[in-house]
Amino acid sequence: MSITRRQFLQTGAVGGVLGVSQNLFPRWMPRMAFGQAGSRERDVMVVIFNRGGMDGLNAVVPFGEGAGYYDKRPTIAIGEPDGTDNTAINLNDFFGLHPRLRPLKDIYDAGALSIIHGVGSPDPSRSHFEAMEFMERGIPGDKMTATGWVARHLATASWQNNSPFRAVGMGTMLPASLRGEISALAMRSIADFHLGGRQEQLAQVQKTLSGLYRVETPTDILSGQAAQVFNTMSQLEDLANQYYEPEYGAEYPDSEFGRGLRQIAQLIKADMGLEIACVDSGGWDTHDGQGSVDGEMAFLLDDFARGLAAFYADMQDHMSRVTVVSMSEFGRTSSENASGGTDHGRASVMFVMGGASTGGVYADWRGLSPDALDEGDLAVTTDYRDILAELLIKRVKNPLVDQIFPNHTVNLHNIFVE
Amino acid sequence: MPINRRDFFALLGGVKPITPNQTVAEDFSPRSPELHVLSRLTWGVTPSDVANIQQMGIEGYIEWQLNPESIPDPRIDDFMSKRQVLSMSTTQLRQIADEQYGFVISNMLWARLYRATYSERQLYERMVEFWTDHFNIPLQDYLTEKMIDDREVIRKHALGNFRELLFASAQSPAMLMYLDNDVSDKEHPNENYARELMELHTLGVNGGYTEQDVVEVARALTGWTIEYGRDDMFVFDMNRHDTGEKTVLGVTLPAGRGIEDGLQVLDILAYHPSTARFIAQKLCRRFIADFPPDSIVQSTAEVFFTTGGDIRATMRHLLLSDEFMNAYGQKFRRPLDFVIGTLRALRDGIDVDNIYVFIEPLEGMGQVPYAWNPPNGYPDVAIAWLNTNGLLYRWNLGLNMALAGEGYLQGIVLNLDAVIPQATTVGELVDIAAERILTVSLPADLRQLFVNLLNRDGDETALVDDRLRRSYLPSLVGLMIASPQFQWL
Repeated sequence: MSITRRQFLQTGAVGGVLGVSQNLFPRWMPRMAFGQAGSRERDVMVVIFNRGGMDGLNAVVPFGEGAGYYDKRPTIAIGEPDGTDNTAINLNDFFGLHPRLRPLKDIYDAGALSIIHGVGSPDPSRSHFEAMEFMERGIPGDKMTATGWVARHLATASWQNNSPFRAVGMGTMLPASLRGEISALAMRSIADFHLGGRQEQLAQVQKTLSGLYRVETPTDILSGQAAQVFNTMSQLEDLANQYYEPEYGAEYPDSEFGRGLRQIAQLIKADMGLEIACVDSGGWDTHDGQGSVDGEMAFLLDDFARGLAAFYADMQDHMSRVTVVSMSEFGRTSSENASGGTDHGRASVMFVMGGASTGGVYADWRGLSPDALDEGDLAVTTDYRDILAELLIKRVKNPLVDQIFPNHTVNLHNIFVE
Repeated sequence: MPINRRDFFALLGGVKPITPNQTVAEDFSPRSPELHVLSRLTWGVTPSDVANIQQMGIEGYIEWQLNPESIPDPRIDDFMSKRQVLSMSTTQLRQIADEQYGFVISNMLWARLYRATYSERQLYERMVEFWTDHFNIPLQDYLTEKMIDDREVIRKHALGNFRELLFASAQSPAMLMYLDNDVSDKEHPNENYARELMELHTLGVNGGYTEQDVVEVARALTGWTIEYGRDDMFVFDMNRHDTGEKTVLGVTLPAGRGIEDGLQVLDILAYHPSTARFIAQKLCRRFIADFPPDSIVQSTAEVFFTTGGDIRATMRHLLLSDEFMNAYGQKFRRPLDFVIGTLRALRDGIDVDNIYVFIEPLEGMGQVPYAWNPPNGYPDVAIAWLNTNGLLYRWNLGLNMALAGEGYLQGIVLNLDAVIPQATTVGELVDIAAERILTVSLPADLRQLFVNLLNRDGDETALVDDRLRRSYLPSLVGLMIASPQFQWL
């Protein structure tokens, strides 16, 4: 039987912290073998959640539908491509990118960006909270399973990796996809990840704290998390003091999302055992004043695209082993509402970025005619779990997708090369 | 049987329960039932709270706190009289907010922290917190409207009647704007408010409504909008209202009516058994445990239902229950609770002039007041907050705050000698500090850790001289605030 992270902590690795040495942060978790993470065998996954319900029909515009699209959206539609900055950017003569997604066009042209349209969860819930939970847990409609799909992937993976950075949620809270047996790290800032207080008493303070939290023998979730904080501080000691300079002139947007991606890039390059990082892009619930080429959604798309493009530029030496995938809990109504916005709908889009993506737009497209729609909205014709399962099988090399997405028969859509 | 932290751990799903360890339970046993009650009703126990409950008894104290209007609150009255922006009308506020957005918003944040820290009406401020989450509206986008909502909806009805609270919320300009009902009309009914009204404000997501009910409720509420200008009051606009027949939760609303459609919908929802169950569930989760025993949820729901949504009666039942009294150590402080708990722990020696010392860590932990954007309010279960990021922020806030007396934090003056009285021996100093900062008793092995901090040989009889006290008191106090005993209530 393999040793879990928590058992590892119990078997004394943490004990080193109690015998405080000269170092403030003794490397009591010494240069361990970080499994095969960071090797060429499997991709690092960066999972983006577009919270609030991204309007896929204005992000990736089906201008080829003609009146079927434009009549539903008299004030917010994105015009057919005419080569200017105020219309859709043509992808394949049927779909086009919102003009604020311009930074993604080069990546698309390089074949490193796949777009899946009409994708979503089979569960019809239009509640944000329920739909997000279902999507992140990976078992739509099931309220009994509390673990997330990423956590189940980590728990079923055939390899071991004791790095505290194995799974990282960038931000103040851990996303539901990361909840489970393998303890994931929530971190907002690498630079701030150290202990404050009277610095000349730091070693004593640390010793007292680890004793109070009983990190030597973690017995509950609190002591487990505390142990992980100590572990992480020790590992980050060097990195936290370095200023991170993105490469190739990459400029991340100064947003929570941009800062998150920037720090993920830093962690991947530092080769600290990162396998999965999750980061949020929020604010997509555009009921009111969604706008068209400009406006609220344009602003969000701009941040999203500039973040992805900066990451792609910064990480270009690494993209052959990195895959970025985005999802949203649902799309929005196909028709705009009275407030120049859209309400909760069904299918949305996913973006897949990385050297192993096959590129192009994938859609089992049924169109926007009344009988093709699901209660008036774009129907889910591709299950989001198919995309994630294909990523896990082909790129992350975890074939146990029947345990990660139970009761789901996976269909591969050739989104990734093997 | 109440669910303990280990069961909670198991409820994470797929997590193997850890072998029971007796010391863990002992780590969180309260020093007395009175301290358990205080730890849940207040935002942090102060010596005057202890004096009050000792004088009144537990039941007397709860009843006293259930009637905030009869509790004098001179410190808050003084605060409010000096910050008139908090009492202005919408029109007045808007004139100021347009030019001084930062000034207005910082007053609102300050008021939230100040009232929770210094009000004598501690349970009332807890209820305000509960309903602020329940009827969540983010402040940054609806500044003036949310300030009015806070005053006229949340604070006005926090211990009143739920039906009145719901009606006030439904006609609050902030809510009408936030969930888009102000722009909903018969041609294009906007479903945003209708859905959250049932899912989040009343029935709960499993409360028995359908997608069709969402559509019908949206139709019933068309025309509920705002009359812009003239203080932006609620108005019913018949021209926007869908007068057709509707069916909501099996009840037919006849054609040809006006505002009555919406009023009837709110009545149906306010008095629905699912609403009683849903509100009871949330109250029990807030005041008892993340996964409260079904017995108390059921009986609380019955009180709520039979009293027609009397919040005070419902809370009286909950707080006097055995389930509540046996629930110690089961609530993990949320970040705001932690920050205010720190302020209250240091209350006798702290003077705060710079609110951003607290807003910055609240941002880092993810709970700036009124900043939660989705309509469901900040989460109220430990699993949402108990992570590495949040833990480190708590440790650092405690450790840094205790050093404030040495000028490390601009805008804060702290005299630790006013918080922790003099002690002769190391053991005595640890015990006094624990009594002032923590509500639980420290097991011997954890107490010894603090003794070791102050004396290398671990000798609790060693004398505390001035140099030792000055050098180590901040770390001692900071570590107590950082300890697990301060995080779980």
